[in-house]
Amino acid sequence: MKKIFKTQLNAAVIVLIPACIGINYLGKLFASFLKLPLWLDSIGTCIGAALGGPIIGAICGAANNLIYGFTTGDNITLIYALTSLFIGLVVGIMARIGFMKTFPKALLTACAGGLAAVVVSTPLNILFWGGTTGNVWGDAVFAATQAAKLPLALGSLLDEIVVDVPDKLITLIIVFLILKGLPKKLTTLYDTEETIESLD
Amino acid sequence: MKTISLYTNNGSWLTQLHPFTKLWYLAAAICIPLLTGSVWGFAVMIIISFVLLKSGRLIKKALPLIAFSFTIILTIFLIHGLVNQQNKNVLFAIGFLRFYKEGLLYAAHIGLNILNMLLSFAIVVLSTRPSELVDELERKGFSPRFGYIINSVFQIIPQMMGTMHTITDAQRSRGMETEGSLLVRIKAFLPLISPVVMSALTATRERAIALEVRGFGAKGLKTWMHPHQKTKADRIFSWLCIAGLILALAGRIYLWLS
Repeated sequence: MKKIFKTQLNAAVIVLIPACIGINYLGKLFASFLKLPLWLDSIGTCIGAALGGPIIGAICGAANNLIYGFTTGDNITLIYALTSLFIGLVVGIMARIGFMKTFPKALLTACAGGLAAVVVSTPLNILFWGGTTGNVWGDAVFAATQAAKLPLALGSLLDEIVVDVPDKLITLIIVFLILKGLPKKLTTLYDTEETIESLD
Repeated sequence: MKTISLYTNNGSWLTQLHPFTKLWYLAAAICIPLLTGSVWGFAVMIIISFVLLKSGRLIKKALPLIAFSFTIILTIFLIHGLVNQQNKNVLFAIGFLRFYKEGLLYAAHIGLNILNMLLSFAIVVLSTRPSELVDELERKGFSPRFGYIINSVFQIIPQMMGTMHTITDAQRSRGMETEGSLLVRIKAFLPLISPVVMSALTATRERAIALEVRGFGAKGLKTWMHPHQKTKADRIFSWLCIAGLILALAGRIYLWLS
């Protein structure tokens, strides 16, 4: 248990966090540039979580939303700091127990991350937006459930699932491909299991 | 270089205020209407925020932010006005669309809350330099490591944007399509983002070494380049906000007890 949450706070990790936050921003920017109906704004959080562990993932996620909320005026993201935090935490834990090593396992990590996002976001959506998410496809589902007189919470939950799970699947596939391509001299910086052997 | 921060130093009195004073206003503007729980609380705070933005000559820059959230507020009005569960009394009808009173009231509550939060945040965001806020937080004992994280985000993002433009141009010149059907656009995502991400991650190694060489992990007291002293206006403004908060809280408790 202790090993899963083991975190180093050296300069390499401190530098990783802003880079991951920048990557989140770029993901969102590219998604809107290509007019994709997804958010793709947690790529950096997932990379941070996979490299630095759950604590770093959580810090990346929360700091990401807090910084953008306080500086770009997009205070809608501020509320979702909690969601990002849990995505980072869950993906980090999954990565530490070996669920980022092969492609099928990475897909399972994606589902876990997506479900974490759904569980945390749904109450926030109901509280602040009356159940909608601001995504076209998800809100169409929500409107349909409300017209069918289903409970608000169920409609909002479905709304989130339709948006978040595919989003996290694509995010984690991208993260998996990127991590496979990283040079070893970089990944060893974040490896907590490495031990230093002395020659004498 | 282009920054992501919306702050510009226009020399108005809002930019001269201490960052913490503006944070007190933010807390007051968000909490007071929620504590009073009436639509009027939101309306009053929205008007105050408008007046403050106007006197700080920031209203023009706040308008795009409001326009951005307008579509979300509109969806909320449409969905709840048409299909909210509590809907009983028809207020008006456009063609075959019937708008109900209960749903619209609920939507008005949420919409005003969003608008209020947006405007009060606009005051902080448009008139505060991010690095100044971080500096003041560090003076109050905020971890300098996290301070570095926040400050460096603002330096990294313009750099990455530059790389992003270079890579988009390079991939396009190789004939990659970025417009067309959804599948084409999804396929374009990976070749666009992976080079930027890779270069950003490999650069972290060099940055880490550079930081360590300059004594980033050194323990000991640090000094500040531009400490921001609180003025009399700061004190008056923050005490007004705190007094408002206490009054709203007292009113809420009184309502609960009676």
